[in-house]
Amino acid sequence: MTYSTANLYKTYMSSARAARLVKFGAGLALFVFGFWTVSFLDIPMDRLFGFFGRLGPMLVNRIFPPDLVYATDWKILMSIVETIEMSLLGAFYGTVITIPLAWWAAWNITPNRTLLYPFARAVIVICRSFPALILGFLLVAIFVFGPFAGVLALTIGTIGFAGKLMAEQAESIDMGPVEAVRATGAGPLKVFIFGIWPQVKPAWWGIIIYNWDARLRASTILGFVGAGGIGLHLRLQISQLEYHAAMGIITLVVVLVIISEAISHFLRERLR
Amino acid sequence: MSAANPISIENPLRRSADLFRRYTIYTVVVAIILAMSVHLLVLGTDWARMGSPSEIAETAISLLPNLNFIPKIMSPLLDTALMAFWGTLLAVAMSIPVSYLAAATTTPSMIFTFPIGRGLIVLSRSTHEIIFALIFVACLGLGPLPGIIALACRSVGFMSKTTAEAMENADRGPIEAIVATGAGQTARFLFGVVPQVFPIFLGNAIFAFDANVRRAAILGMVGAGGIGLHFSEQMKSYNYGNAGACVLAVVILVIVGEIISNRIRTKLISG
Repeated sequence: MTYSTANLYKTYMSSARAARLVKFGAGLALFVFGFWTVSFLDIPMDRLFGFFGRLGPMLVNRIFPPDLVYATDWKILMSIVETIEMSLLGAFYGTVITIPLAWWAAWNITPNRTLLYPFARAVIVICRSFPALILGFLLVAIFVFGPFAGVLALTIGTIGFAGKLMAEQAESIDMGPVEAVRATGAGPLKVFIFGIWPQVKPAWWGIIIYNWDARLRASTILGFVGAGGIGLHLRLQISQLEYHAAMGIITLVVVLVIISEAISHFLRERLR
Repeated sequence: MSAANPISIENPLRRSADLFRRYTIYTVVVAIILAMSVHLLVLGTDWARMGSPSEIAETAISLLPNLNFIPKIMSPLLDTALMAFWGTLLAVAMSIPVSYLAAATTTPSMIFTFPIGRGLIVLSRSTHEIIFALIFVACLGLGPLPGIIALACRSVGFMSKTTAEAMENADRGPIEAIVATGAGQTARFLFGVVPQVFPIFLGNAIFAFDANVRRAAILGMVGAGGIGLHFSEQMKSYNYGNAGACVLAVVILVIVGEIISNRIRTKLISG
């Protein structure tokens, strides 16, 4: 093999051609995939193009103005309070269960790597993979119609959501204090209280507050399947085609979520 | 006591005033939680309809997945995944102009366009996907199309927020270097900001896809396509075994989506 300029040029050109060919092939495959998905999903293109033409009149005629007189009715406000209570209770009970689970599911500090670690990981992964609404529907069928099922669904949602974040947080702590406490002969519980908890406390409080915010979003819709809260009224109004009243409830929910986000943002900023 | 032991040191964490304050706060919090629990869980629940433990166990067992139903829901399951894919793609496309408006460093006007961008982000983040789906089903008809648009509207807020933050935190050096060559607004954005933001943007797009798979699974409940329709149909007709099969399929889809997105993101970060 001689390293003449012509040879080098030839190798370079052929490899560049190959790279271009691969790029072209990938682009073509993506294009074909896109077309195939559109035909598989059976998307009516004509409707897509008439979308804005229909959205405007619908917003004007059917949805605006939102019926705020209905939305500030005493019954609706009470179910908003119920929604907030559900989110607080679900976040609270969920957090109580999540704290030990997150401790067990962090590889560096778990008290037992053969049994507790896989157990806690499996619980968190399973709880994470259920969408809240599906879980609410199942729990309403198993237990009873009402906020009991909703709070249970939110508790399970908290375990999945906060558990992963807390465990990830705990895996990045400084092991020095933990080793020091362990070296005094302390048991696992004392190691957690004196070696781990002071280090993870600020970050975990942030996660707890963020989780409450996320649970409030989920709880506004759980009533759709009868699991308590404002969603039930939303579903009733939509079933009766009372779009103005439904829009009033939606406005109320959006305001509630924005307020909760502001509160959670404020609290997390203060923690820093 | 202190006369006999002159070198007793007060524990700063156990000062009586602090202790009193702390335990008062604990008591109030516990009282509020208890009151809410009693209000919602004890009084708000119809215990007569709850049924005996054996009835509850019976319902739970009847929800165990009926595996014969799985082949029938493969096609709607694929629909769900594709809806999440297209919704994410649309959200990515929509998030470019929105984040351009909502980042303080790139927005054309702080008075007019900045509040518009921020307002769109807040609206998108605080509205549940079911609500978007209801509105779009009403004006586009049934099927996956309103679901895709609802997913896009729902996740554009997250995408734009993170992208706008990344653009605000972008390193000034390269941007100033490009301005120094005499480049205009467009070139400054394309060659100064975009290369710095792109990896973060891609990682967030994959994260949004992961979240959209979960969201797409329930959109069918209001007629916006995907597996949610089959789930709620089977649930309403008391075919609990078939509904359990739908749930199993959704759970597997979500876990697979999470594993794939985690793989890709770790590869992106490690390069």
